[in-house]
Parts: sequence; C-alpha cells; structure tokens
Amino acid sequence: MIEVTGLSHAYGDGTEALRDVNVVFPRGTISAVLGESGSGKTTLLMALGRFLRVPHGRISYDETDLNDVPEAELRRKIGVVFQKLYLFPHLTVLENLALAMVHAQGRPRKEAEAAALDMLERLGIRATAESYPVRLSGGQAQRAAIARGLLLRPDYMLLDEPTSALDANTTDEFAAWLGELRSDTNFIIVTHDVLFARKVAEMGVYLSGGTVAARGPIEEIIRNVRAGRVVGEPAS
Amino acid sequence: MSLQAGWPLRPGAALALAAVFALAAAARPAAAAEPEAGTGPAAGAEADQAPLTVALTGKYPPFSFYDENGELAGFDVDVSRAVAGRLGRRLEIVATEWDGILAGLLSGKYDAIIGSMAITPERARQVDFSEPYYVSGAQLFVRRSDRGDLDGIAACAGRPVGVGLGETYEHYLRREHPEVEAVTYKSTVDIFQDMENDRLSGFITDKLVGAWQVKSAGRDFVPAGKLLFEERIGIPVRKDRPELLAGINAALADMQASGERDRLFEKWFGLARRRPTGMSAATVVRLLLRGFGITIGVAVASLAIGFVLAIPLGMVLNRGRGAGCRAVRAFVDFVRGTPVLIQLLFVYFGAPQVGVTLSPIASAVLTLSVSAAAYMSEIVRSGLMSVDHGQELAARALGLSGRQTFRLVVWPQAFRVAMPPLINAVVALTKDTALISVISVGEVVREAQSIISVTFQPIQYYLIVAGMFFVFTFPLMKLAGRVEARMKERGFVHD
Ligand SMILES: Nc1ncnc2c1ncn2[C@@H]1O[C@H](COP(=O)(O)OP(=O)(O)OP(=O)(O)O)[C@@H](O)[C@H]1O
Ligand SMILES: [Mg+2]
Repeated sequence: MIEVTGLSHAYGDGTEALRDVNVVFPRGTISAVLGESGSGKTTLLMALGRFLRVPHGRISYDETDLNDVPEAELRRKIGVVFQKLYLFPHLTVLENLALAMVHAQGRPRKEAEAAALDMLERLGIRATAESYPVRLSGGQAQRAAIARGLLLRPDYMLLDEPTSALDANTTDEFAAWLGELRSDTNFIIVTHDVLFARKVAEMGVYLSGGTVAARGPIEEIIRNVRAGRVVGEPAS
Repeated sequence: MSLQAGWPLRPGAALALAAVFALAAAARPAAAAEPEAGTGPAAGAEADQAPLTVALTGKYPPFSFYDENGELAGFDVDVSRAVAGRLGRRLEIVATEWDGILAGLLSGKYDAIIGSMAITPERARQVDFSEPYYVSGAQLFVRRSDRGDLDGIAACAGRPVGVGLGETYEHYLRREHPEVEAVTYKSTVDIFQDMENDRLSGFITDKLVGAWQVKSAGRDFVPAGKLLFEERIGIPVRKDRPELLAGINAALADMQASGERDRLFEKWFGLARRRPTGMSAATVVRLLLRGFGITIGVAVASLAIGFVLAIPLGMVLNRGRGAGCRAVRAFVDFVRGTPVLIQLLFVYFGAPQVGVTLSPIASAVLTLSVSAAAYMSEIVRSGLMSVDHGQELAARALGLSGRQTFRLVVWPQAFRVAMPPLINAVVALTKDTALISVISVGEVVREAQSIISVTFQPIQYYLIVAGMFFVFTFPLMKLAGRVEARMKERGFVHD
C-alpha cells in the first residue's frame, strides 16, 4: 500500500504543482490517476518514484517512509515508465530491454534477451528488436518503454500516460494484458483516457489544479466527472 | 659563433688566404719553432705519447660538421689533423657546445680549440692564441645583377638588408650604418628565400660561411665591397702551455710553407669544388620519417593524457556551480586563451626555475596534454550537457547504480555527441605539435629545417611536411564527418 499524506510541491520557478494531496493506493488493485492537462499527475508520479524532493508531506510504501527506503531496494520495488519514455537512443530496442536485467539484476545476457524478445512478441513489436529508438513510431516506442519497465517485475509499477500513442485496438490489447499481470504487480496508471481507466482500474484519484478533486472507486469518479460534480480550481 | 668571415671565392681568394698564412708564418719561422720536447714534424716515433685533444662544435659547416656518414668533417677538422700530424701526436677530437668550449679548455678537458674562434682581447686575457690560421669577417652579399649599383654598404642606404638575429652583424649595422634598414632573420635559409622573393637588397654574414652557403644553395649572390670588419681566427691553448703553443705555431707555419693550407682552402672554399654537401634521398626520407614518428608519438601521448584528464574536468564543468567548477573553468579559460607557443616556452624555460628540469619531449608532452585537456574538457562538457536529464532518471528508475548510469547510459551518448568535435580537436592539436620545434624537439618540422639548412630548398621540404600532416589529418577529418552523419541518423545530433 502506498500512502500519500499532505503532499505539496512547487517547482523552482514557483509553480505550485501539488497542494496538500492525500491519497491511498491499496495493494491488489489497479489505480488510475486522472485529471486534465497540467493538473499535477506527472508531478505526483515523480514524487512517488522519489525523483523530486518533497519537503512537505509524507509518502510511505507498505508503512515505511519513502525517504527511509534504500535506493537499491526502492528501485527493485518500484518501476516507472515516464511519459516521455526516455528510451536510450544509443542502444537497440533489445539492448534497451536487456540493459537493466543484466546490469542491475545480474541476469545472464542470454536469458535476459530471451525474456525481452518474449515480451516484445506479446506486445506485437518483435520486429523492432534490432532497431534504434529513433526509428520507432510513437506507439512502438511506448510499448518498448513499458516492456523495459515490466521485464524487471517490480512490486509497484508507475505508468505515466501509457496509452497516449496507442490506437484503440492496441489499447484494448494492452488493457487485457495488464489484467493478466495484476496478480504480480500493483499498477498506478496516470492517464487522461477515461475509457481506458475504466477498463483496467478499480480505484482512482482525480486531480485538479494540484489538489485532489475526487477519489474512490473508478466508476464513481467517472460518473461525478461526467455530471460536472468534480470541478477543478478556476485557475486550472 | 663569433667569428666567421669570408674568404672571397674569386680566383684571387686562395692567394689572399695564402698571404695571411704567410704573415703568420713570418711571425714565427718554422725553423725557429721549438716544438714540445721530442716532437716535431719529423718525430714520427713519438706517436705513442698522449694524443692531442682538440675541441670544436661539429655544428658549423663547412668548418666542422657531420657528413653523410656521420663522420666529423670540415676545414677545422682537416687543420686539426694537419697540426696533430706535424706535432707527431695522435688526434682526438672532442665535439662540444660552443657555450662551454672555453671553460672546457681552461679546466683541461682538451689541449686546444680548433673551432674557428676569433681572437678577441677578452679571450686573450684568459688564453693564449696561436697566430691566425685564417681571417674572415663581415661581408655584404648582393644579387649578381645588382652588383653594379650596390657596390658596398654605403649604396644600401634606405634599403632592406638581411642579418641573423642577435648576431654581431645586426649590432654592427645598427651602430655603424643606421641609414641601412636592418631586417633580422633566424637563419640564412630564410634570408636566401627573401633575396629570391625580392624582399631584400642584400645580406650580411660571415664571408667564408656565406660564400659556402651561397654555393651550396646554388644561388647567384656575390660579395659586394670590402669586409665590413675583420676577424682573425686562432687556436687557443692554456696560458701554462707555451711549448704547445710554440709547436702549434710551428705546425701552422709548416702548413703554409708546404702549401697544405692552400690545398685545404681550395678543398673547402675553392671554385673547383662541386656543391659541398647536399643530402641523399635516403637520408632525407629517414630524417623526415623519424621526425614524423616523433611528431605522431608526441601527439598521441598528449592527446591520450589530455583526453583522460578531460573526462573528469568535463564532468566538473558540467556541474555548473561550486568552487571546483569555478577553478576548472578558470584553468580551461586560461589555457584556451593563451598561445600554445608561449605555454611551451613557459614550461620549457620556467620549469627549471622551480627545480624541475624536463627534457624537451617531456616539456612538449606536458604542455600539449594540458592544452588538449582544456579543449577537450569543454567538448566533454557540452557532450554531457546534450544528454537529456531524463536519460539519467530512466536509468535510475531501472535500478542502475550511479556509476552504471554514467558508464552505460550517459557517457556513451555524451561521447557520441562529442566525437566529431573531439576528432577536430585531435586534428588541431596534432598540428600544434609543429610548434614544439621551438624547444628543440626533433620532430618533423625541425628535421625539415635541418634538411633545408643543407639543401636550401625550403619550399619543397615545407610542402612535403605539410603533406605528411595532411595524410595523417585528412582521414580523421573524414571520420569526423562520417561519425556526425551517423549520429544524426541515430537521433543524437539534430541540425
Ligand atoms: N520542471 C518543471 N518546472 C516548472 N514547472 C513545471 C515543471 N514540470 C511541470 N511543471 C508545471 O507543473 C504543473 C503540473 O505539471 P504536470 O506535468 O505534473 O501535469 P500533468 O498533469 O502531468 O499534465 P499532462 O497531462 O499534460 O502531462 C503544470 O503547471 C506544469 O506547467
Ligand atoms: Mg504528465
């Protein structure tokens, strides 16, 4: 379980991206972080992955304060796929996928590459294995980045807009596949795609202007949003 | 070297020289000379006594120099042989630097100096000189076609006349003939080139050496007017060796009387002589290749050291703040903002002042490494800066350690981006090695200069050296272009 209490964050230029955010992501569920553009979704995800200094508020993982988790353990436990993907441009797709398995987890290269090819196959981008990232389409790159994160089998997986570049069909396949993986991994998915969120998630939080406008079962949130009962700050 | 004077190459020259020797001989007739005990022109039986040790520099053609076989040769060498033969002693020649040559005589390292030393009052206070064995002096040379108008130094008023930098001739000209425009040069080769290019009306140099050089270079320059001043060349010995001095004087007089001096003079300065030196193609190739080997060696060593230093320096620069970064920035700016030539001279001459005496090559490698480090650290910094911070985030998110992140993710990308400018820096720094000839490193430029001092063909040999550099740098430049194109293809570099 991930527990966020009283979290606020302002960027160096003074932008207040999060204000007093309180939310819980239970184990065994897929949670969605919803909200319009600029509402602070990515910022929240970065805080959960300890990529931001957050002087105000507290985040705990399974009761342990995030700041007390040793770096190596934290990275083993929590995987992140960034909105901007950050595939390594100097490596082929296959090398991108195998890199951390080999160097961070110490798995034999052969085994790592076999697992990577397997994953690429399932995501329908096996043909791109030897390509460099610059040659990939948006959707292919997105799937490659997700594959790279999932191959490490983290306990928690944070995905930032994983379907933004996928077409409807691929999104559906992806959603079905997440369903298969959920027994091993706790997903927290940032998305503005309400249909997708509804398909995969059971819990949700709706951010607006850096604050939590709604949280609870996903259906409930979506209903409230549709009915206009969840309103963001006028500024956002 | 201090004296150098010239014997005319006109037919009368040998006669004039003979006259000098006649004077010398008259001062001390051979028959009256009392050689060292038991020695003398006829005393062949004494060959087993101590050899006559004679010092010269071996760097003063045609008086003393190393010939194509690496043997000492020249007028002074032949005179030494003749003197030793007449003294009935075996000859031992010590080649030594001009700077300490008198001190060596005074401390007894050798018996005499037969190295074209001019007789001056200051020197005569320390040592005893023999009668002069030749006379030379400062001579104006002009193009043969000009000799009608320019018949002496007075005719050169307002005209440019070349002289060697810091030589006596320069001081003489400025003092005695300020109306002549003195233009200073580092070597006669350069003077010849500017005579050819019509930048000079004439030049002043030692009469004998000048005549020999003109002949060697196959130029049509002739002496104009009388000697500007005369220098008499003698053989110094220690003041406590009067018997040796007497023996030498007797030997010189005998050489005069027997006609041997005339033969030697004809051999080295006579008109009949073919071009005296020149260099075989094999020697030229060997010298140039050896020099280029040193050039490449110094370049590779400096670049390797510089690159290794540039990585941590570039990382510190990339931090962008802190005392370390400011210090590195100051260092890099200073090195990049000052001429490498000055840095070289500073290290070479400055290091001994603080008690570290470095060989020329070590000074060169040290200076060029520092220069390479400064330029390359800047390139490394911009390479590191070009890597999106997100790459580091992604690597950390995947569980790579800080070191792995740098080694496997950040550095390979930074290096690829830095590669084309790094190769260009390699090209620039390789070219900078041409500067190290100033601190006496025998790299290719210096070898070329020494070839030119014998062949008098600066344009040809500088062109060859330029070609050698180009053969080395051209593939590198091509490679830089190819790497850059590849980086664009992979999406590292955008135009
Ligand atoms: N590095 C940054 N420096 C300054 N301001 C930032 C930075 N990153 C984000 N912001 C600002 O913080 C606010 C929240 O941004 P965030 O990226 O968290 O939004 P988001 O909900 O993920 O939006 P989107 O759906 O467009 O990805 C925005 O106003 C944004 O402009
Ligand atoms: Mg975002």
